[in-house]
Amino acid sequence: MSANGSGGGSGDDLLVVEDLVKHFPVTRGIVFQKEVATVKAVDGISFTVKEGETLGVVGESGCGKSTMARCLMRLLDPTSGKITFNGRDITNLSRADMRPVRRELMMIFQDPYASLNPRKRVGFIVAEALQVHKIGSDSEIKRRVQELLEVVGLNPEHYNRFPHEFSGGQRQRIGVARALAVNPKLIVCDEPVSALDVSVQAQILNLLKDLQKEFGLTYVFIAHDLNVVRHISDRVMVMYLGKCAEIADRNQLYVAPKHPYTGALLSAVPIPNPALGRLRQPIVLEGDVPSPINPPSACRFHPRCPRFHEGHCDVEEPELYSFGEGHRAACHYPLEHWPMKADEMRVADRPVTTSS
Amino acid sequence: MALLEVNDLRTSFRTDDGIVKAVDGISFSVDKGKTLGIVGESGCGKSVTCLSIMGLNNKQSAISSGEAVFKGEDLLTMSARRLRDLRGNDVAMIFQDPMTSLNPVHTIGKQLNEAVLLHRDVSKKEARARSLELLKAVGIPRADRRIDDYPHQFSGGMRQRVMIAMSLINEPDLLIADEPTTALDVTTQAQILNLMLKLQEEFNTAIIMITHDLGVVAEIADDVVVMYAGRVAEEGTVDEIFTRPHHPYTWGLLGSLPRLDADVERLVQIQGQPPSLLNPPRGCRFHPRCPYVMDVCKAEEPRLMPVSEQPQHLQACHLDEPTKDREVAKLLAGQLAEAG
Amino acid sequence: MFQYLIRRVLWAIVLFLAVTLVTYVIFFITPSDPARLAAGQGATPADVQKVADRLHLNEPVYEQYGRFLWELVGHQSLGTSFVNRQDVNDIVIRSAPVTASLVFGGAVLWLLISLPIGIISALKPRSLIDRAGMVFVLIGISAHPVWIGLILAYFIGFKLGWTPITGYSDFFNPTQEQGGPVQWFYHMILPWITFAILFAALYVRLIRANVMETMNEDYVRTARAKGAPEGQVIRSHVLRNSLLPVVTILGMDIGLALGGAIFTESIYSLPGLGRQVLVSYENFDLPVIQGIVVFSTLCIIVFNLIVDLLYAWIDPRIRLT
Repeated sequence: MSANGSGGGSGDDLLVVEDLVKHFPVTRGIVFQKEVATVKAVDGISFTVKEGETLGVVGESGCGKSTMARCLMRLLDPTSGKITFNGRDITNLSRADMRPVRRELMMIFQDPYASLNPRKRVGFIVAEALQVHKIGSDSEIKRRVQELLEVVGLNPEHYNRFPHEFSGGQRQRIGVARALAVNPKLIVCDEPVSALDVSVQAQILNLLKDLQKEFGLTYVFIAHDLNVVRHISDRVMVMYLGKCAEIADRNQLYVAPKHPYTGALLSAVPIPNPALGRLRQPIVLEGDVPSPINPPSACRFHPRCPRFHEGHCDVEEPELYSFGEGHRAACHYPLEHWPMKADEMRVADRPVTTSS
Repeated sequence: MALLEVNDLRTSFRTDDGIVKAVDGISFSVDKGKTLGIVGESGCGKSVTCLSIMGLNNKQSAISSGEAVFKGEDLLTMSARRLRDLRGNDVAMIFQDPMTSLNPVHTIGKQLNEAVLLHRDVSKKEARARSLELLKAVGIPRADRRIDDYPHQFSGGMRQRVMIAMSLINEPDLLIADEPTTALDVTTQAQILNLMLKLQEEFNTAIIMITHDLGVVAEIADDVVVMYAGRVAEEGTVDEIFTRPHHPYTWGLLGSLPRLDADVERLVQIQGQPPSLLNPPRGCRFHPRCPYVMDVCKAEEPRLMPVSEQPQHLQACHLDEPTKDREVAKLLAGQLAEAG
Repeated sequence: MFQYLIRRVLWAIVLFLAVTLVTYVIFFITPSDPARLAAGQGATPADVQKVADRLHLNEPVYEQYGRFLWELVGHQSLGTSFVNRQDVNDIVIRSAPVTASLVFGGAVLWLLISLPIGIISALKPRSLIDRAGMVFVLIGISAHPVWIGLILAYFIGFKLGWTPITGYSDFFNPTQEQGGPVQWFYHMILPWITFAILFAALYVRLIRANVMETMNEDYVRTARAKGAPEGQVIRSHVLRNSLLPVVTILGMDIGLALGGAIFTESIYSLPGLGRQVLVSYENFDLPVIQGIVVFSTLCIIVFNLIVDLLYAWIDPRIRLT
């Protein structure tokens, strides 16, 4: 019994990202500001998303997933790299050229309280994209908005209400309706359920899945909750300090992770099952996530890695080695099997032999 | 005798819109050295319960009744002075947001010292030595230098460690932790939970852990109280609650979790949203959202009754037992009836 | 921290130049003829011309401005009055202490009034003290200082005779009739009250709001959870944090107050900078006005710099970035 997103993506590559880099300069100076350091928020990410599938992006704070999402949407300009959407290179398009692309590429945000303009009525919020792209007459737009409200499970008669009259979950539904209005191909979901209660989270996740089936949507789903990501994704990418640590088909990643960071993450997620929970011994990593201003040399994870090999991991940056079937991990000493206990993890004799 | 026994605790708030009955008849107990998890969604009253026990609610708007007997004394009726003696000394509390829970203009050393000096008759030097000891115990690197740093110089995880140090510095019998890891990353959360369990063993402290994360509860709690809209829906040992839950709300909560150890196409949804506590529903507060609602649920508030053969496992629901057993079996098989 | 300081100083210099330039330009736009005023009643056109030449009034603006800057920076001189040929430096030095007494004394008074009322109102909201405080705020903000001054002068000065109505009494140099600290105090009481009431009202509101907000902060709750008695919570955790913004605003307000001092000085005939500006304006005595503007600007800038540094000292978050 396996349940995926919607069939694992049947189409061509809808989104191709190559070596995406986004650096933010840090300036200091009395009169003339000069750049003294850079925040390397995203430091070379590559992945593809096929039409109809859901790519989950998971990572902790500072890993760069939100920055990457904004670069995809061209809300931020990438420092370098290439983003190809629906066959077209959108990396450096001007604002005007980007506008028609935005019809096909929409976003759902994390905070249902901050992402809706409190002074605008719900009808306006959902209809805004339609009006900007001049799709339909006023009455057609109104009908479409009511249709959308119904599709996301809201009462179409609440068209004239203000956001504060809705609960968090309902507001997030409005956000979904807003994203759907122009019939996009790809929706980037930036932590859409993190701010919601567990029972409401379930409603939104079910809704997103239903909509994906009905409208053939493609999702890039960003979250820090591994359980949520697993439920909704076909493939999952794990990010650490601006780089991709591992990317794999969903089942592969959770059953046989290769990167020690993925292993640590998986072992740290609490399981709502007391019997299993008590047996579990999480691999507790030392220290905090380092700052993206001064990332560690070579492999970013090496200062905290239980499998660290001096002279190798801090000298040579691991490339994304391939482990077959689209499963790649950036580690010289990938995990041989899973689950592994903390002491087992420290035993790492064989460096990886396969290469991309 | 239990370390803390709470009986029929009720707390209401006077607001401009009327009286909000945030906590409406909660009873539970905590034994020495054990961990109680209080679980529920936002607005269910779990935080208010613990703030009421500690007497930390806004004096002007909150009214509490009932009793909270701690080592033989009722916290709700004791003098303010006696309560202050106990706070930070026998009963300690840590809060959710480590960023704002520390005073930004005092060094953490000063704040730790304050915790010691309030309850122990020692010199400043001795207090400082004690603070240093605790900072090392919670794993702050280079503690002797960092003790004179300010809170904004620490990361979130480190700040929460400082809070834990501050709360355990007088070796309290009971630690109340209000969503201590919600604002932290998963790996940091694992570190903090690990730390708390280790210190619990060392100091034999009882813990009340308030959280909305059922995974966290399953890992560290011995007993669980499930709260909904200011009342207890169900309470029992952690094994009972997770393997044989007896309340539709608990079923809904467990079923709506995406899990690493199970595979479902659709998650269980609990329709609607939590009720307003200004005007809560009559009878069982969960009835507007309950897929099993019956007429009696709308009229009569269900009392907390023991499950047969499990006297420690209490639940407040009008459904009969055979139905519940059936539903539990279905839940465990991964298919739960969903209304609407 | 050091960079912060340098940057503030550089900005201060830029500000200073801008203010003096603007003042200079304004005077060239207003129609006037200082030469004629300086020459006096019975002057002939030829005399006026001679005066104009002596005072360099026929040169282009930028030359006059350049000359002024040179005098200031090179010779530390603010020029000489058009009207009575006195050194502007002397005029300023004579008037400044009066204004300083008024402003700083007034500031002390307004803090003495607003701090207790503001803090107590915040700690006991909706009590009698709080409501009385709010009434005070309403009156203080609504009533114009001039009106207050006149009322006070009439009732307390004239009718009751408790304090003198006008005039200033030197703190340090007693003359035959009057002088010395006691007399100085008596002469300043009414001006201080007049001056302080508006600010006291505003500050009560500010302090009350800040303290109330700080009382709800998480770290105050933490302090209570540690078992600290309420007094310690307030002293150690609430006050310092809530009064931080008051320090910044105080810096700004003392600057503003220097301007507002004009009203109070006029009513009570205090020979301070404000009054001097009024007098000089009637005579279009540009150097004096310019001199006072320069001096005041310098004072305000220095004062704000001190406040900025003070703020950095009090709040460690600023200190360490």
